[in-house]
Amino acid sequence: MIERHVTVKNRAGLHTRPAASLVKLAAKFKSDFMIIKDAFEINGKSIIGVMTLAAEQGAALLLRFNGEDEEAAANAVQQLFDRAFDEPV
Amino acid sequence: MALENLRETRKKSITVGFMYEANKERLQLRTLNGDVGFEKEVRDKNIHRPGLALAGYVELFTYDRVQVFGNTEIRYLQHLGLKERVKAFETIFQFDLPCIIITNENAIDQELLTIATDRKVSVFQCPFETTKLVFFLSDFLDDQFALQTVVHGSFIDVYGVGVLLTGRSGIGKSEIALDLIERGHRLVADDVVMITRKGEGILMGAGTDVVKHFMEIRGLGLIDVRSIFGIRSIRFQKRVEIVIELQEWKHDVEYTRTGLDHESIVIMGVEIPHVKLPIFPGKNVTVITEVIALDYLLRHYGYDAAKEFSKRLDAVISEKARGKRVIDYFEHDFE
Repeated sequence: MIERHVTVKNRAGLHTRPAASLVKLAAKFKSDFMIIKDAFEINGKSIIGVMTLAAEQGAALLLRFNGEDEEAAANAVQQLFDRAFDEPV
Repeated sequence: MALENLRETRKKSITVGFMYEANKERLQLRTLNGDVGFEKEVRDKNIHRPGLALAGYVELFTYDRVQVFGNTEIRYLQHLGLKERVKAFETIFQFDLPCIIITNENAIDQELLTIATDRKVSVFQCPFETTKLVFFLSDFLDDQFALQTVVHGSFIDVYGVGVLLTGRSGIGKSEIALDLIERGHRLVADDVVMITRKGEGILMGAGTDVVKHFMEIRGLGLIDVRSIFGIRSIRFQKRVEIVIELQEWKHDVEYTRTGLDHESIVIMGVEIPHVKLPIFPGKNVTVITEVIALDYLLRHYGYDAAKEFSKRLDAVISEKARGKRVIDYFEHDFE
């Protein structure tokens, strides 16, 4: 299991478009992918789940990967957060 | 994905202001000193009546609970002279109280109110009897401090039975939910199900405010079930009664064949019947889900199909041992 701490960097927060890119990317990997915000844990492969977080700019998230390709999944997803979903910051 | 290691959470505190706003209409609460002390926190779901503390006995005084002044407390204060009354009131103000609620339309002296205001403690008035107020307020606080968790699954009311479908991402939970809705069952929540423990043995499931009754169908995107299928296709909350876990069929896993042994799963300390349902192409999971719900109802009303069958078999076996035929000739069936 791998855990990564990330923050939402783009100005608009984790709205529909970045949420869609996130779940599309996550779906490419076999590992389970959970996102933890505040006290709640949701499935990072579910668009409804990710949108439920309503994570704003600056929100701190904990990402948890578990499975055979967890390393690759964690790196890819972290990169997407680091790039601020290719949106204005 | 299994339902083990769920992240359980519970609110640590609520503010007095929040409690007031949420209950002011239902409990007809009136504030006697404006919004003084609204930022104070309530951390305990229990309510306390400070009769003994007012009389001077403050050992074991649970000061951090909401303090309710009923007739006893008010009469006690009234029977004292003003000086003693102030002294008695100040006794409980040695402690950091969250707030005070006075029931039965009773009032307190201006002097006492000033003490509370100086110490930044809200004082509310309520027209209800103490027992009624305690009942309603406890219910509210129980709910606020209840254990909660989020489950990834689809939650549907099937013939009045709360069925939680779980399974790994992409196994088809939403599609089965959609099929059930199409057959007249009611969606509570899809993908993100918020489960709250009520009292000792009840789990209530609901959707979150943001995504209520929206669902994602792979290849189609987001749909709004309420708009498409109408108000009769949804409901806001439901007791969780069965968990059906969808799994890919595996040769080496043993599935129940008789249904005599019922498996269960424990969610937040509550035991819920748990059915592991193997799926493969051509299997009509929707109908099976309906049957599981109906069978649950039958058992709830005292009829267990597997046990009945087993009883019948025992009877036949014991008759056969006495030399009877297995099937008797049907006299009127000549075709």
